[in-house]
Amino acid sequence: MTAVIVKALADLRRRRLQAGVIFVTVLLSIAAGTMAVTLMSQTRDPYQAAFQAQKGAHLQVAYKAGTDPRLLSTTPAAIGATAFGGPYPVSTIQFKFKEQKFFVDAVGRDNPLGDVEVLNITSGRWAQANDEIVLTRSFADLHGISIGDRVKVTSVAQTPLLSVVGEVVDIDEGSADLSSQRAWVQAAAIPSLTSPDSSYYLMDYRFAADPTRAQLQGYTDRLRAALPAGSITGSLNYILIRNIFNITNQILTGVLSAFSIFALAATLAIVATLVTGIVISAYREIGIMKAIGFMPAEVVGVFALQIVIPALAACMLGIPLGTIVSQPLLANSSHALGLSYTPSFSIGMDLMILAAGLLVVAIAATLPALRAGLLKPIAAIAKASAPRGAGGRLLRKSAARAHLPRPVVLGIGDALARPLRAVLTLVTVLLGVATVVVAVGLPRSFLLINNSATGAGNYQVVVTRTSAYPDSEVMRVLKAQPETARVVAIGGQNITVPGVLDPVNTRLYRGDSSRLGFLVIAGRWFSAPGEVLAPAALLRDAHLKIGDSFTGSTDGQVLQLRVVGETYDINNFGHSLFMDLATMASTKPAIEPYMYDVTLASGADVAAYVHRVAAVQPDLIDVHASDTSIITPVQIIDLVLLVIAGVLALIGIGGVFNTLLLNTRERIRDTATLKALGMSPRQVMAMVTASAAFLALIGGVVAMPVGLYLHHVLNDVISNSAGNDTPPAAYAVFNAYELVLIPLLAVAVASVAALVPGRWAARTNVVEVLHAE
Amino acid sequence: MIDLVRLTDVNKVYQGGITGALNGVSISVEKGEFAAIMGPSGSGKSTMLNLIAGLDRPTSGTITVGGTDLAKLSEGGLARFRRDTIGFVFQFFYLLPNLTALENVLIPAQLKGSDAKGRARDLLDKLGIKEVADKYPARLSGGQQQRVAIARALINNPTLLLADEPTGALDTHSGDQVMELLGGLHRDGQTILLVTHDAKLATRNAARVLSVVDGRIVDDARLESPERAASEVIRVRSEETSR
Repeated sequence: MTAVIVKALADLRRRRLQAGVIFVTVLLSIAAGTMAVTLMSQTRDPYQAAFQAQKGAHLQVAYKAGTDPRLLSTTPAAIGATAFGGPYPVSTIQFKFKEQKFFVDAVGRDNPLGDVEVLNITSGRWAQANDEIVLTRSFADLHGISIGDRVKVTSVAQTPLLSVVGEVVDIDEGSADLSSQRAWVQAAAIPSLTSPDSSYYLMDYRFAADPTRAQLQGYTDRLRAALPAGSITGSLNYILIRNIFNITNQILTGVLSAFSIFALAATLAIVATLVTGIVISAYREIGIMKAIGFMPAEVVGVFALQIVIPALAACMLGIPLGTIVSQPLLANSSHALGLSYTPSFSIGMDLMILAAGLLVVAIAATLPALRAGLLKPIAAIAKASAPRGAGGRLLRKSAARAHLPRPVVLGIGDALARPLRAVLTLVTVLLGVATVVVAVGLPRSFLLINNSATGAGNYQVVVTRTSAYPDSEVMRVLKAQPETARVVAIGGQNITVPGVLDPVNTRLYRGDSSRLGFLVIAGRWFSAPGEVLAPAALLRDAHLKIGDSFTGSTDGQVLQLRVVGETYDINNFGHSLFMDLATMASTKPAIEPYMYDVTLASGADVAAYVHRVAAVQPDLIDVHASDTSIITPVQIIDLVLLVIAGVLALIGIGGVFNTLLLNTRERIRDTATLKALGMSPRQVMAMVTASAAFLALIGGVVAMPVGLYLHHVLNDVISNSAGNDTPPAAYAVFNAYELVLIPLLAVAVASVAALVPGRWAARTNVVEVLHAE
Repeated sequence: MIDLVRLTDVNKVYQGGITGALNGVSISVEKGEFAAIMGPSGSGKSTMLNLIAGLDRPTSGTITVGGTDLAKLSEGGLARFRRDTIGFVFQFFYLLPNLTALENVLIPAQLKGSDAKGRARDLLDKLGIKEVADKYPARLSGGQQQRVAIARALINNPTLLLADEPTGALDTHSGDQVMELLGGLHRDGQTILLVTHDAKLATRNAARVLSVVDGRIVDDARLESPERAASEVIRVRSEETSR
């Protein structure tokens, strides 16, 4: 065994550069893999832990303000809830902080504790007076509001000032960047904050065991049956909230897992290439080893150890690195859920990653090394190196027919001289380029969807009004501005749809909403009252398809609706409806718009417009430029994709570099001969570069459809996880020239990677090489 | 006559070497000559050939070939010099294994950017191996491989043909054929510098034999007839080696 280790270490010293390639590629792939496994294992269900700790509500139901609270207190028994909270009076308020205005649902609640929905106070204290308010931490963090700040409630004529006294984590709502938010005041404060038609009662229900979606549907059906028609105006279940919390991590762990496997596969291809190359070039050495007494298994061991030793070093560094890099993401999850964060890692899991990583690397090294073990000593000594393959001849002839310069022709032929090596190299290039395609494409798809959701390019200003300022006044003010080109007014209402658990949040439009930039996946935008569009999840849950008609209801009033199109909307995981405000013309009370998307004439000064309109009514309307920025979770996913693409690209470069090293060393006699025949150093460089460029070109060209397919699949997975189908435009985010440019970029990068082996080849000392023969 | 090759006080010391591979060698070779450099293993004869081919640089001294001082040429310049001026025949042929015989012959011309397919076929025909043009080296006998190597050396009409133990890896019959070929080329006016350790081989075709021992030229014999020459050269060698 000592001899094996001594020989392996000696060989390792001799092949330092190749050991370096193995070290770097294993380091990158094992770090990415560790990150994925750490995220998966440590965030398996942090929501569930927080949900238990804070006694989260399985079901939250909003009841019409006029509902008798005594009747509501009987509802827990009607559905078999083991614990409940409420009824809490709630009022939707708008408040102003500095120059920003916000809508929140102010919940009248005197105590943050209780049997359901314990509010975890992370800083400050609970509201004790009528002029105090408690906010969610995610809302306060997002908007820079601190304890002690004062906010002005602008949705009521008295515009009272409230002091922010506490920040809480509420397990029963999503984070502020993804969901609307609640705030808490003393119950006695609610009447003074309530404007007409803005209040309701909230009941929280908790059951002995986590109910299924179907059970939750049964509970809401029972509540509807037990109460007067129209009593329930909305409901929210824990499954939806859990999904909102988990979606970012799910997407991240999914992406990381998939690409970690890519990275590992590419690394294994490099390992197999390297060992095959070493064995091929070391026939004589293998023969001598056997002649002096090495057993076949020991010969295999020498070659496998040369790979396993740098791989072990890479794992020892890569596993802690992956664990450390995943900590900010874990801390983010814990922070959002109000869980205390402690750096989390598992020695057992790390050891498993180490063992698994080394095992696959060892297998990838051992299989090609078996060839060395099976060689007959005399044959090995006699041949010095493996017979050269005949691969590349046809290719070389084709290149020659294309009248390419001879060094280029020779280089292209060399690229495929060892077909297995060429294939393994192509695999690494393919995986690298395909990942780059995904990393370029997905953020663009996200941006496209983000732009459609935020109206980027379609409207520039968003105005919201409080109920104290009438719709007609807002329209008058907006139309009076010379820059106003178009105003689309938007209202909202929850509509009950047969087969769907919670009442569906519905957006109602007045004006030419077809020009707001919504993505229509199938069918068309509505053009008449009664026509609706919905995302895929709603259509699926309600068993609807385009052209179907169905009966919805709101406040106990029936609506005849017909599906004319499928759109994209991630709110409530694809459970929403889009229709003309006129559809609700006959409902009572009348629904009025509260928000206005304003398109300005081209060249208009948005800031000046916002300033001027806001000045008309500083408290009762909020005017701001449309926010088209990308939400934080998507930014995180974009960043992770970028890093992963970098990792895979580096591994791909490592693969090409490794192959060029092997080819250059293996063909050193040929290179020396060519130099003796008059090949200039520049021509030698051109020959090696052509070899690299050809591999990169083929790998890049093959990678394009693979990358585009992966981009397509990931788009579908991400859209589906948010309850949507992928809009066709999200697939088509590449320009034709980019489809050509990306493989060419791979060629350029590979050509740079060829510089080192190319220079070595160019500097080949003809006399030394040929003399050694 | 015009000096085609001139070495003036050339020394070559390899890294770590205490004594030089060449020690103060000064010779000249005229255009049209067939000169043999003869000596035992390690005497420095191949080193001399490599220096003349521009494959290596001397530690000191000057080498001019066709009036060109090789010291003044860059690596690229030396490559162009070899391509344009030199034809090199190696002991072990050094054909590129993944090219056919014809492709091997064409390589130096293609490196120059010229299309010499017709000349390559003519050369293969002239050397009696036109039927192997499309075969790969592994399919050829040693003699055939060396003829391909000679054709390759001649493809660019070199001013100087260098042959380093061209029969060293061949059986006697094939070796004789190769030497006949070289003799025929010389008769057609080709300047040839042959390195060998075989005195008979050296004297059979060469009109001049330079004997090298321990990196020095110990004899420069211009031969009138091969029969006499062989005995003289052998005598000189035995005197030198017995010192």
